[in-house]
Formats: sequence, structure tokens, C-alpha cells
Amino acid sequence: MSTVDSRVSVAPRKPPRKPKPAPGSRGLSPLRVLGMAFVWLFTAVNLLVLYWLVSAAFKTPIEIFTKPFALPAHWFERGDPFRNFAYAWDNAGFGRAFLVTVVLVAVSSVVIVLVSAPAAYALTRLGARGADGMTNFVAIGMGVPFQTVVIPLFIGMAEVNLTNDLFGMFLVYVALSLPFTVFLLTGFFKSLPDELEEAAALDGASPLRTFRTIMLPLARGGLVTALILNAIGLWNETLLAIVFLNENANFTLARALFAFNSAASYQSEYGGLIAGVAIVVLPMLVLYLLLARRIITGLTLGAGK
Amino acid sequence: MATVTFDGATRYYAGSPVPAVDGLDLAVADGEFLVLVGPSGCGKSTTLRMLAGLEGVDDGAIRIGERDVTDLPPKDRDIAMVFQNYALYPHMTVADNIGFHLKIAKMPKAERAARVREAAALLDLEPYLDRKPAKLSGGQRQRVAMGRAIVRRPQVFCMDEPLSNLDAKLRVQTRAQIASLQRRLGVTTIYVTHDQVEAMTMGDRVAVLKDGVLQQCDTPIGLFGRPANLFVAGFIGSPAMNLIPTRASGESADVGGTPIPLSPAARAALTSENIVVGIRPEGWRTLPAGDGVTATIEAVEELGSDQYLYCSADTPHLTPDGTAPQPIAVRAPGMSPWRRGDKLGLAPQPGAVHLFDAETGARLPD
Repeated sequence: MSTVDSRVSVAPRKPPRKPKPAPGSRGLSPLRVLGMAFVWLFTAVNLLVLYWLVSAAFKTPIEIFTKPFALPAHWFERGDPFRNFAYAWDNAGFGRAFLVTVVLVAVSSVVIVLVSAPAAYALTRLGARGADGMTNFVAIGMGVPFQTVVIPLFIGMAEVNLTNDLFGMFLVYVALSLPFTVFLLTGFFKSLPDELEEAAALDGASPLRTFRTIMLPLARGGLVTALILNAIGLWNETLLAIVFLNENANFTLARALFAFNSAASYQSEYGGLIAGVAIVVLPMLVLYLLLARRIITGLTLGAGK
Repeated sequence: MATVTFDGATRYYAGSPVPAVDGLDLAVADGEFLVLVGPSGCGKSTTLRMLAGLEGVDDGAIRIGERDVTDLPPKDRDIAMVFQNYALYPHMTVADNIGFHLKIAKMPKAERAARVREAAALLDLEPYLDRKPAKLSGGQRQRVAMGRAIVRRPQVFCMDEPLSNLDAKLRVQTRAQIASLQRRLGVTTIYVTHDQVEAMTMGDRVAVLKDGVLQQCDTPIGLFGRPANLFVAGFIGSPAMNLIPTRASGESADVGGTPIPLSPAARAALTSENIVVGIRPEGWRTLPAGDGVTATIEAVEELGSDQYLYCSADTPHLTPDGTAPQPIAVRAPGMSPWRRGDKLGLAPQPGAVHLFDAETGARLPD
């Protein structure tokens, strides 16, 4: 008889700690080993650079050059570990630059998305004549390196007195970011099912209302991704800021850092300089770490199916 | 409540020279449950979408009641639609999904809430009103889609394969619920499906389409009992009707040595001597081997309630054109002792023979 006797205590079934992978997917092929080695090497080099940057920001110039990979000591012993940061903040005009950058980046990113989202929606969902061609035309904009248009852009902006002007900078940022953002969002809107719009049309919603109350909330993931990617890109943007902004009061962080670079290296204040770099880089790094998952899923959404 | 009339409605898709729906003439009575059925690509969904206003009408007209809606946008047609994948708004609660149309129609909040609750009660959805669709089972989502349609009290329901995403058991249950709900509400309903069992069990009438052309529109019994042509005969009924191509000679057609008598009207209507004799699996009598068409059992399907025997006739001239003969399906009582390899005789039951012209495919008069 095979009836189970409930009085006999059976050892509870233990699931494996890690489910077995599919056969054949585990072997250490040469390509796999090579790939793993490359990935780890790449990661290690990047971590090393990050470590060097962060540790050097707390060092004296002598420490930086004699013991590049040791932990910082001098300023800690003097009881003033953040001396370099204070120096950079005070001497580079980062206080105002920080404010300018935060406002400029925030306003630009939001406006970019506000303009791109309806554009992408119209290009993908409204069945407008020539929409595919127009989408491709927008995409071509991504293929033009902005460095090649800096000079004509400067001349044009100078004509209308918008150089060395934060509003002009805002216009340039928005215009140059549109192709990528529109393209990113078209992929997003394309992935949303047609039936939702049809259902909304039968429910009596106008196209504008359908966009606002149905499609926009569904594309929220894509909008947030576009917002973050633009914010990171604009935060780090240097070349245009150097070309267009030449007055301290208008400097963005990256532009201020550039000015600070000449001053600090002249005075051999390398610790302060690197602390300045850290002040510019770290906020975006933290933002990215916090939102990495969201950004990656956002970028691949609409790619499959 | 209203009638629905298709008057020569035609729809072309870009890039295709053949119309997806070709000159459809169909009149649906007020409160009727009409099922559009056919194989995939036959134009049944296109027909429904034309009625809903989601597709343009290239030629002809569509009327709801006396109103010509051919050129009206969907929102002005007073139609509610249930989509195959339900198309629920994922970021709204069940209550908001059901009440979306009423909200757009600017119905006061209290009245709207009452209507939503009434619809939810009808569909056993009351406990779920605050949930998002993602938190519902497939059957519940289907009911929300139904709720969204009935809360509007529209003139016409359009349903586009609303059960095809449910598992088999739930589908049978929901089938009966939708049919009884429709009868209770009395709203004219056009229901698209590729499942002939749904078509037969739910519809007051069933319209069979093929390649965009209406083949026959009749009650389930009419469709089953008097299929208008070879396509309908083969499409309706499962297992399909045995369609045996043969020759008419004199006053009868020959099926495996057994003469099938032809009426004078049938003979007069024939365009050539090629004729197709149609007999459903349940239209055969089984006899001892030697009587009728002698056949050998090739396979036995036991369903418990019924048994289907797939037989090959021993006499060779079942197909006049020399193609390999199709096995003949025969229904026997469930749990019959038949086995593969057994020999038996087959004879059509009186009144179970359908005759078709092999050239035109049309049914011959009795």
C-alpha cells in the first residue's frame, strides 16, 4: 500500500538554494571566460578611477602625486577633511553655479519632455500623413554631432542677442535635445496597444483627452526616463556652456569648473580642483544609482514586442 | 435599442486589390443577437469595426435604426464595444474604467456612481470596484469589459471575440452569462467569433462570412440543417460534415456503390454531372459489414458521450477525380465496442443527405 501515514513525520522538502540552470548554458567556453574577464577588467578600471577621484578630493597635492592610491591622511589629521571641498566651493563660484545649473537643467528637461511627448504621440498614434517620414527626419537630427553646428548656432544666437544669456542657453539645450527625446518617446508610444485608443474613442473621448487621460499616464515610465536622461546629459554638458556663457553670473557647474581648472592648476591646488570635479560629478552619479533600474527598463521598453 | 443595417458595405485595406468586406447586405433586428462567424481573415472583425466607426466604409452604407452612421465618428454612434483583449485602462480602477464614458458625457457624480454600481452588481464585480485591472483574473477583466459596455445602455453592443482569452471551462460559463445578459437587457448585439460552437449556442441568427462575402445568415438550426453551400456545410458542425464528391447518373448519385436518389428539382439545378453528397457524422446508420457502403475503421475517438469512427470505404470510386478519399466520420453511441480495423456497413439516414453542385458549391433543391 502506498497511502501516506500522516503520523510519520517526513523531513520537509528543501528546495535547492539555486535552481539548476538549463543544461548546456553553464559550461565555461573560452568566449565566456574571455567575456567575463573583459567585463570584470572594465568594471575594475572604472571603480579604480572613481576611487582615485573620490580619495584625491580629500588629499593634498603632494599626497596625490606621491601616493596616488593610498587613503587620504593629511587633511584628516588636521581635523579639516572637507578643506578641499570648501576651497573649491568658495573659489570656483560653485554656490551660484549650482543654483543656475539646477534651475536650468530642471526647466530645460521638463520643457524638452513637454514638447517631445505630444510630438511623439502625434507622430506615432494619430496616423498623420507622412508621419513615418517625419519621424525619420527627426531621427536624422540625432546623427548630426552638435559640435559641428556650434559656430553657426553661436552666430545665429548672437544675431538675436541670446548669447551669454541663460534663456538663450535654455533654448539651445531644448532644441538640441529634441531629436533624441522625440525618438525615444515614439518607441514608447508605439508599444502601447491600439485598442486603448479605440476604446477611448468609443467612450467618446476627444484625441486631446485620450492623450491626456489615457496615453500620457501609460507612458509615464517613458517620460520619466526621458526626463532623467536629459537631466544627466545637460548637467554634464560643457562645450556649449563654454561657447555660449562668458560671464561668471551665468556659469553652469561644468562651465565654472572649466574656469576653476585654469585658476586652480595655476596655484597647484589639485586637491581643490579634484574636489570641484567631485562636486560636479557626484550628484548625477547618485541620481543614476538611484534610478538605474528605471532608466534601463525605460530604454529597452518598446524594443521587444 | 435599434436595428442595424449593412447596405452593400464594402471595405478595402491599403495595398490589397480585394476587399476585406465585399458588398455586405445584412439586416439585424432590434434586440437581436447576431453572431458573425468565419475563418480568420474572412472580414468578420472588419465588419464589426466598420459598424463601430473604427474603420472607414469605402462603399455602401451602415444604418443604426433610421440613422445613417456611415460617416459618423465612433463617439456619435451610441455603440459600446467589448474588445478581444478587453482594452481596460490599466491605470484606472474598475469603477473608473466602467464609468469613463459617463464621466466624459458629464454625468453628475452621484448618478454616475449609482450606474456603475448597478452594472457591477449585474456582473458580480462589486468587491473589485477599487482594484486596478492588473489585480484581476482573466474572467474578472472580461466582466469589467462587459460592465464598461452595459453601463452606457447603448443602442448596440459590438463584441469582438470577447471570450477567446479565457480558458475552456470559463468560456463555456461566460458564454451562457453573456447570452442571458443580452436577452435580459434586450440590446441589439453583433458578436464576432471564429468559434462555431459560440456562434451556434449564443446567436439568434448566425452570419457566416468567407473572404469578405456573406455566405449565409440564418438561425443556428437553419444553418445546421440547410447549409446554403459547401463552405457553410463544411464550416458548421464538428466533426465537419462528410462531403463526398461523386457523379450523378440518371436519377441518383453513387456513394460507394449505394445510390442516393436525386429529386427532379435537384437534377434540373445541377450544372454538370459532378455532385457533392454531404452527410453529417450523425447522419449515418451503422450496419453489419456487407450492407450499404462497406468501410474499414481507421481510427476511433472516444468522447464518453459519443464515439467518432473515422472510416475508409472499401469501394474505390468514392472520388471521381482520382484524389485520395477523405476518411468518413461516423458518430456512434459512446462506449460502443468498435475497434480499429473493424469492418462495417454505412447507410445514410433518411433526410440526412445534403446535395451540392460540385461546380458552383451551391445547395441543390430537395
